[in-house]
Amino acid sequence: MDTFQIEVVTPEKLVLDQRAEFAEIPGKDGYIGVLAGHAALLGELGEGALKITAGGQIREITVSGGYVEVRDNHVRVLADKAG
Amino acid sequence: MPSLIDIRRRVRSVKNTQQITKAMKMVSAAKLRRAQERALAARPYAKMLQQMLANVAEAASQSGDGETHPLLAVRPEKKILLVVITADGGLAGGFNANLIKLAHRFANDHKSDELTFEAIGRKGRDYFRRRSFRIVGEHIDVFRNVKFETAEKIVQTIIDRYAKAEIDAVYLFVNEFKTVMSSTIAQTRLLPVEVPKSAAPVDYIFEQKPEEILGSLLPRYLNVQIYRALLESAAAYLAARMTAMDAATRNADEVIDKLTLYMNRVRQASITREIIEVVSGAAALE
Repeated sequence: MDTFQIEVVTPEKLVLDQRAEFAEIPGKDGYIGVLAGHAALLGELGEGALKITAGGQIREITVSGGYVEVRDNHVRVLADKAG
Repeated sequence: MPSLIDIRRRVRSVKNTQQITKAMKMVSAAKLRRAQERALAARPYAKMLQQMLANVAEAASQSGDGETHPLLAVRPEKKILLVVITADGGLAGGFNANLIKLAHRFANDHKSDELTFEAIGRKGRDYFRRRSFRIVGEHIDVFRNVKFETAEKIVQTIIDRYAKAEIDAVYLFVNEFKTVMSSTIAQTRLLPVEVPKSAAPVDYIFEQKPEEILGSLLPRYLNVQIYRALLESAAAYLAARMTAMDAATRNADEVIDKLTLYMNRVRQASITREIIEVVSGAAALE
């Protein structure tokens, strides 16, 4: 399965930077599902669980407030809080 | 001529001082490493946010109804706020003095304007308060544990005042951390926001309207700038302190060497004198 790079950062630190096959991102106006090759997207982040699927494993991070950007097969989640 | 005991006492006193400066240097070095790590850890977010702002601003200027965001509004600079970030403590060479000098020079150049100060750090506050400048906000003891919330709080008051047109421009004065041996004093304009240029505009799908995103992105951009300035200043202060204390320790070494040499000379002189006394005493008996 094709993968993409996903980064999650907060003002304090880089939370994660890894390859993933699928990500479920809590947008402000509803969840956004991202697969490899997703079109460029920019939106505000809501509150909720960010689910990242990589190698069959699902990792869950709680995020709140911030932005999400998808560009060139690269997802950047700029969260106010994550953990 | 001072007696041997006097000189010995001085040597001992310098040695004690040297021990203190050496300890201060070590403490600063340990703290510096942590501060440096934190400053470094804050970089990815700042960089990404800046890029995002550039892209969103580009899109908003194309799709927007031509109305500029209040934080981008440019007015003639009549009422200026100076945000001065100094340290709470001294013993760091010219760290505080140089920055204060830069801010004071700016104030002198803008005598006809209405100046207000936001003082972060005790040294700057004391200086400008003594000279009866108008300090509208002071933040002391924020460097021990720099929090993002601290930056948010500071920025919120600034944004409120700017939106109410109580101030027309905001300038930031801060020591930027370069390397352990050097930091530079910098003066940057915070408001109105100078939007960074987009390197390669991207055709995004916007989940929310670009103007809406821009509206929440701008205050956050300021938060990050202040937060980064606080972290950099904290690291630069510790670096300056470490360097200053290292220099002090080396100076103490030099003083001790000089005093020891002098002490030996004095001792030699007194021995010579005693020999002469003995010899001439013996000669007188013959």
